[in-house]
Amino acid sequence: MADVKIGVYICHCGLNIAGVVNVEEVARYAGTLPNVVVSRDYRYMCSDPGQDLIKKDIKELGLNRVVVASCSPRMHEPTFRKACQDAGLNPYLYEHANIREHCSWPHATEKKRATEKAKDLVRAAVRRVYWHEALEVKEVPVNPNVLVVGGGIAGIQAALDIADGGKKVYMVERDPSIGGHMIQLDRTFPTLDCSECILTPKMTDVGHHPNIELMTSSEVEEVSGYIGNFKVKVRKKPRYVDLDKCNSCGDCAKACPVEVPDEFEMNLHMRKAAYLPLPQAVPAAFAIDKRGISSCRIACPAGVNAHGYVALISQGKFKEALELVRRTMPFAGVLGRVCTHPCELDCERGKLDESISIRALKRFVADYELRVGREKATPIERTKEDKVAVIGSGPAGLACAYDLIREGYAITVFEALPQAGGLLSYGIPDYRLPKEVVDNDISYIQELGVEIKTKTPVKNLTEIFNQGYKAIFLGTGAGVSQKMGIPGEETKGVIHSLDFLRMVNSGVEMKLGSRVAVIGGGNAAIDAARAALRLGAKEVAIVYRRSQVEMPAIRTEIEEAEREGIKFHSLAAPAKILSKDGQLSAVECIRMELGEPDASGRRRPVPIKGSEFTMNVDNCVIAIGQAVDKTMLPKELDYTGWGTLEVDPVTLQTNIDSVFAGGDLVSGPADVVAAVAAGKEAAISIDRYLRGISLTEERQITPKKVEKVSTEGVKPKARAAMPLLQISERKGSFAEVEQGFDEKTAIEEAKRCLNCGVCSECFECVKVCEQEAINHEMKEETVEIEVGSAILATGYDQFDPSVITHYGYKKYDNVLTGLEFERITCAGGPTQGQIQLKDGREPESVAIVHCVGSRDKNYHEYCSRVCCMYGLKYAELIKEFTKAEVYEFYIDMRCFGEAYEEFYQHVSEMGVNFIRGKVAKITDQAITEEEKGKLVAVAEDTLLGKIVRVPVDMVILCAALQARSDASEVASRFTIGQRGDKFFLETHPKLAPVNTATDGVFIAGCCEAPRDIPDTVAQASAAASKALSLISKGKVTTEAAVSHVDETICHGCGRCEEICTFHAPTIISKNGGVVSSINEALCKGCGACAVVCPTGAISIRHFNMQEIESLVDGLLEVYHG
Amino acid sequence: MEVLSPYKEATDVILEAGGEPLKLCYQCGLCTGICPWNLVRSFVVRRIMHEAQLGATDFGSEDVWTCVTCRACVQRCPRGVEIIDVMRAMRRAVASLGIGVVPDALRISAKNIAGVGNPLGEAPEKRDDWAKELKVKSFSSGTEILYFPCCIPSYDPDVKTVARSTATIFNKLGINYGLIGTEAKCCGEAIRKAGYEDTFQSLAQNNINLFTSNGVKTVVVSSPHCYHTFKNEYPELGGKFEVIHITQYLASLIEQGKLKLSKKINKKVIYSDPCYLGRHNEVYDEPRRVLQSIPGLELIEFPDAREDALCCGGGGGRIWMDTPKGERFSDIRVEQAVERGADIIALACPYCFLNYRDSVLSMGKAETMQVKDIAELVAEAM
Repeated sequence: MADVKIGVYICHCGLNIAGVVNVEEVARYAGTLPNVVVSRDYRYMCSDPGQDLIKKDIKELGLNRVVVASCSPRMHEPTFRKACQDAGLNPYLYEHANIREHCSWPHATEKKRATEKAKDLVRAAVRRVYWHEALEVKEVPVNPNVLVVGGGIAGIQAALDIADGGKKVYMVERDPSIGGHMIQLDRTFPTLDCSECILTPKMTDVGHHPNIELMTSSEVEEVSGYIGNFKVKVRKKPRYVDLDKCNSCGDCAKACPVEVPDEFEMNLHMRKAAYLPLPQAVPAAFAIDKRGISSCRIACPAGVNAHGYVALISQGKFKEALELVRRTMPFAGVLGRVCTHPCELDCERGKLDESISIRALKRFVADYELRVGREKATPIERTKEDKVAVIGSGPAGLACAYDLIREGYAITVFEALPQAGGLLSYGIPDYRLPKEVVDNDISYIQELGVEIKTKTPVKNLTEIFNQGYKAIFLGTGAGVSQKMGIPGEETKGVIHSLDFLRMVNSGVEMKLGSRVAVIGGGNAAIDAARAALRLGAKEVAIVYRRSQVEMPAIRTEIEEAEREGIKFHSLAAPAKILSKDGQLSAVECIRMELGEPDASGRRRPVPIKGSEFTMNVDNCVIAIGQAVDKTMLPKELDYTGWGTLEVDPVTLQTNIDSVFAGGDLVSGPADVVAAVAAGKEAAISIDRYLRGISLTEERQITPKKVEKVSTEGVKPKARAAMPLLQISERKGSFAEVEQGFDEKTAIEEAKRCLNCGVCSECFECVKVCEQEAINHEMKEETVEIEVGSAILATGYDQFDPSVITHYGYKKYDNVLTGLEFERITCAGGPTQGQIQLKDGREPESVAIVHCVGSRDKNYHEYCSRVCCMYGLKYAELIKEFTKAEVYEFYIDMRCFGEAYEEFYQHVSEMGVNFIRGKVAKITDQAITEEEKGKLVAVAEDTLLGKIVRVPVDMVILCAALQARSDASEVASRFTIGQRGDKFFLETHPKLAPVNTATDGVFIAGCCEAPRDIPDTVAQASAAASKALSLISKGKVTTEAAVSHVDETICHGCGRCEEICTFHAPTIISKNGGVVSSINEALCKGCGACAVVCPTGAISIRHFNMQEIESLVDGLLEVYHG
Repeated sequence: MEVLSPYKEATDVILEAGGEPLKLCYQCGLCTGICPWNLVRSFVVRRIMHEAQLGATDFGSEDVWTCVTCRACVQRCPRGVEIIDVMRAMRRAVASLGIGVVPDALRISAKNIAGVGNPLGEAPEKRDDWAKELKVKSFSSGTEILYFPCCIPSYDPDVKTVARSTATIFNKLGINYGLIGTEAKCCGEAIRKAGYEDTFQSLAQNNINLFTSNGVKTVVVSSPHCYHTFKNEYPELGGKFEVIHITQYLASLIEQGKLKLSKKINKKVIYSDPCYLGRHNEVYDEPRRVLQSIPGLELIEFPDAREDALCCGGGGGRIWMDTPKGERFSDIRVEQAVERGADIIALACPYCFLNYRDSVLSMGKAETMQVKDIAELVAEAM
């Protein structure tokens, strides 16, 4: 390259450089270097005459390389590149040496060395510029749409500026309304104008602006692309309210039974699950808050909406609650009494203190109907041709019939016995489940149109099909008692439990002896024992072979049995039944001990040799289990090894396609709710079978459980106790033992519900919405939008002062944060603007504590900038509206803005007490009479050098502003930087305050650092103007000094793809292999990929090996001498 | 106009000790507000820091000797000022440069420590006399654990029970431990805080050489003060050992199932966190776990516990200085314990032991309120 002609220019920078570096000497030296055809020095190279020197030389001397040695390239590299370009030289044929920051400034006292170093740097630059190549800058068009993330004042301002400028804005807001923190504020300092009054017009403008597409309840999920051409995925959470239809009448909220703390009111107030996010919400529409399905609902085998009916009961809506139960199954009265209530085991309230008494609440609404009477149910219209037969009228059969009749089928239930209900009627005694309760539930089913044919045993299935039934559900139960197989079991006086209970429940007169033994530990055993006692037996004992804690019976039943005087012989089993004159006389038992666990996981009882003992009894009830009576069932069905019916576990279909089965017949003896669940499941199958659609597809849906249950403000409260019949009144009477709740207890108990899922899906709102705006079926969706730039205005979180335990936040009622106080003074807030304590009194004195979490190494070292001023604002308002004394505890007052100092003076004039000192603690421990019943703020008044203890009624903590808890995720999504305090990092604090590391992504407001409203608005407008300027330009140039892949060497290993923060490289298939491909628009030329590239395929243009090596050689030459 | 400081050398010592954080102090007064002295008398910590910043320390003031080094202020200082280091440097300037007066009681203890290696002025050869009837071995090459009881339990007739209880527990459990012998000296933690840096250096060097030459790897201590200096200050001087406080050791033995407490102590026990175990070294849970393992014992808490615990008044060399009645923190604590209905105040520090013992006696509460080290309670419950 013999024709390389280099010009070198040494800048004096006034005396900045020339005062230390001998610039003439450097210029002279540069002239001696190879290929340098001209070298000059000049006072200010950046000035027009300075630049003209370069341009002139290029033209006249034919220079094709230029080196300027001056200040930092950050300042003037672009200036001189431009000068070269103006003179017709490619700007990449220019090289910059920094002899100010690197020479004259750091070596100000050693002029000679500074001069030598300047020569070195110039020499290196000359060596490097030799290898520079002309590079072409590319241009790409800019998409004129802008994304604004965050709907607080910053986002609103930026969006309006851009939209008013005629460009399209997508505003993405996480909450269901825009407004941000500013709309929570009462008044704004220092002018005290109402925050709502100045913000709501802007909010409405955003809502109605033709150029703004508002996406609320939405979050940015993914960002790809580059400046001018971003692709953004936005996840829109369902609102469950149609924005176009909702007229904000509020009927849904009135109907909604669920109350949860209102976040907008800083949890000082309650709101409904159907709610208007804030009074001036934009969009002006209600929203429904769903956080998942509550645990109780998930736990219920029959899928009853427990949360829903509990919520309705809490609002006194008993009729609606019962309707909701019946939406799923017909047995409110029955299961309200005998359910094993898995819902209560999973109830989240149980983790806090005690679970909600869910079962008793269900019973309450059923009893309420019995008490007030119910209108006959309207029969269901038959919409389907097909008839279905249900055999067996126990809970499984009736649940199945109930669901199918509501699908429009004609249903007939065949029952062999005179009463419908199966074990509900014949198994469970009246003291636990009164007949009229069973009858009420069953008659409801009949009123809907289900035909129940009692005393109609079914001999074979063909006979049923011949009558035109298209499908059959078998729910005939497990109706025979199991035998023990011990000698003497057939002795007179020995009764099996089902026979015994059937007689008891049928009202058959029975003569029992005075001593009765019951063998077994299940519900049937307890029922038999307690029934025996009621029939006049004097001594009743239960013999159970395992330990008492292992008894499968319901715990409360066992406890009541004990209280009624029933004796328990656990770890004992009968070995022989003894008789006298053909009549039972005694049971010989043997003691057991627990051995290794068996198949059920319980430890197997093993007899202890020689431990036999004898119990003298008159009767013995055997209740060790029940089995299926196969003799009653058709031969053609398949059975399991356990003697139960074989069915498909999901569809409950038997080996005959049109026959389904469920309940004890399939599961063996189980509880009522399991039978109901099976009946319901079979109903789904039968409906699908008859409609000819797949029995299995989309059958099992996993419900979305609530992830985080809010227990905000929940005070411990015990579960309501169930009133019981006096023990003395139980003998000889089958009157119901559990008495049920009264209305007041039921409502109180229901109010303990935590409303985990928030919306309970009771659908009361749907009933009342005249606009038909509510749609509970709305689904989450992800939309993709294309924008040219993005403005992040995601705001801040308030610091939680409860971590500073000495300030007693959340411990003392009247210690508040700033935002809480804002809501209290706001006319639309929870106290209608009355400044008052939790008990409603007006405070006599208030302490305002500055720097809570700010300017503190232990929390945030920065100053939150707004606290001094809002602290003064609170003092002003308290002084204006109450007679309270106000104490401002400050460290330094920072009142820097326009009219701020004047406001400070104004507040001082009002007689506010200023104490310079950081509060050490807030305590309720009084040491003087005056302090009693007060909160005491302890601090040193540092101006007096004395400790002060100020008794006050209310403490306001000026809590710091901190970065959003998810700021890091947002930053990484947009590939922008963060400071140590997690706020977003600007490119330059003074000269590029709204730019970020990613071109085309701007920041505004408190997401960058704490700031007040005026600064936020100014910054938002600045960000908007950046976006508009970009759009106005219409195109962006891409950096030419970017990475470049030599595809002949590249192996496509993908390390470049992994290391790149800007997502520039991608591995693509090419010519049968894989290689890295660089998106030059995304590449910043940082060189990370070139460093990790194992083959050396990647190089950075303008920074290739030759250029770097010659630069380094140039620098090292000095050491060679 | 008054000259700010005639003692440039002394103020330089203080500025150096305070380092960068002292320059950062923005005079908010949180230290004064949190300082326990202000419960009983005025002690403006903030002003002392400001004087130190300006080189205007009043070396003649009694404030130089007041700080109990409880660390309540340092723990919460918003600018991270190491206030204790500044206090120590002031004392050092007085003690070593002679520009003020060292309180008499402190001077005598300092002399004792420098002379015979313990503050009580007892003969070094009697250091292990407490263990005479207990068959405790001397530390030798196969010994796993060195038990270092601190000077107070070694010599003070009332506090010896702490060391004896510990040895009894170890003997019953068959723990492989020993005593280092009579060449051992005071750990030096408190005398260093009192300003006697040279004395500390020589004590530390003596102990480090003694431990190292005997091959000590693990030290179990009864005093949080020994714990603190062994763990945090000796390593810089070349003494690196695993240091375990007796409450930590007992808690781990309980956890491993090696120590089983079967005898009931049906008492209400209130635990006082020692500053040097709690705030200085953040050991809060182990002592409580040990107490909760004692059957029948009901553990209750002071109104200010754990990080907020009130000092007994004995740190920073104050244990050797006179505190007038009405200004004793341990008196406040005993009153609080009575109010909460405690039968026993449980301790884990020999200095606390001395102060609480004196408070209970001088307040006439000895009949109803017992003062016991956790090791004593454990020995009783075995």
